[in-house]
Amino acid sequence: MRQPLVIQCDILEDMSEPKVLIIVPAYNEEKTISSVCSEIAASGYDFVVVNDGSSDSTPKILDDLKIPHIDLISNLGIGGAIQTGYKYARYNDYDIAVQLDADGQHSVSCVRDIIQPIIDNKSDFVIGSRFIDKKSSSFHSTKLRRAGIYLISFIILLFSGKRIYDVTSGFRAANKKVIEHFAEDYPPEYPEPVSEFDLMRHGYKILEVPVKMHERKGGKSSIRSWKNGYYVINVIISLFLIKLRRHKKDA
Amino acid sequence: MLSSLQIEMLIAAIVLFFLILSSLRKNRMSVRNSIVWLLLPVVFMLIALLLEPLSSLAHSLGFEIFSNFIFVIVIGSLILVCFYLTIAVSKQQDQIKKLIQEVSLLKKKKK
Repeated sequence: MRQPLVIQCDILEDMSEPKVLIIVPAYNEEKTISSVCSEIAASGYDFVVVNDGSSDSTPKILDDLKIPHIDLISNLGIGGAIQTGYKYARYNDYDIAVQLDADGQHSVSCVRDIIQPIIDNKSDFVIGSRFIDKKSSSFHSTKLRRAGIYLISFIILLFSGKRIYDVTSGFRAANKKVIEHFAEDYPPEYPEPVSEFDLMRHGYKILEVPVKMHERKGGKSSIRSWKNGYYVINVIISLFLIKLRRHKKDA
Repeated sequence: MLSSLQIEMLIAAIVLFFLILSSLRKNRMSVRNSIVWLLLPVVFMLIALLLEPLSSLAHSLGFEIFSNFIFVIVIGSLILVCFYLTIAVSKQQDQIKKLIQEVSLLKKKKK
């Protein structure tokens, strides 16, 4: 892999006071959405909930509590919902976008940890991982799930030479270049591992940092088909396709 | 003298052609999308007109019955049409996704 030529202009890019947006994708999260949002609001970060055409009382809760949100006029699936958040971040000129799940898995207190490497200009994209430091996380999911994650992680290692441990983590932070990239091009299905590999192929620097994660308090995983391996097979095919495609390194 | 198979294929080609033409006239199908369908009557027509050389070709390709050869050609054309339709649907999915995202963002701005 050829390394892209990076010219750093620290004076031009003043990252001491970056504009940070937290994107919260929500699909039928009535049980947890208000507590997650009040936690984020208390932290002082800007945030926006992307309501992906929920059929429960999620949209009503968002309206009643005056939580900043975007109502998708039709259900798009997790990829399309998150991309809407990135488009919103681009239109409103945010420096850093953080993805945080609405089901209470991710701690707002860890947002600082995943945006710090971007502020320090060490990385373009940061993944909050529950596997790097096992002590700090109470959530380790089932054996089968971990086997799937390990397999995807191994294939990414095989293709790129770089190891990502928690490939399905939905707790991630992107700098301005990556926001721009995702606003234009974000995988509609199985977005986490696929988008990470896509970023690597484009020469972005990716870093994984340990974060605390909890069992989800409510709602369902967007990855519903773990058991039959359907998800894993789909991800592997998508990764293969990205590998086959010729990419300009534009990072 | 035309064989009955030739006459049937010609009639099928003509019916299909007029079906497509009338859909085009009533704006139920765009010209762009009709191209792949117009392929089918052309294929039928060619089968009807080139029956003799085709049947010897079928034999040399190992088809024992000529009608099987026709089935293969027609099924092949239909697979092509389906393939084209899947590509069109995927493209539209992407366009609709963009539309939903932009409209939703605009609605948010207006609020």
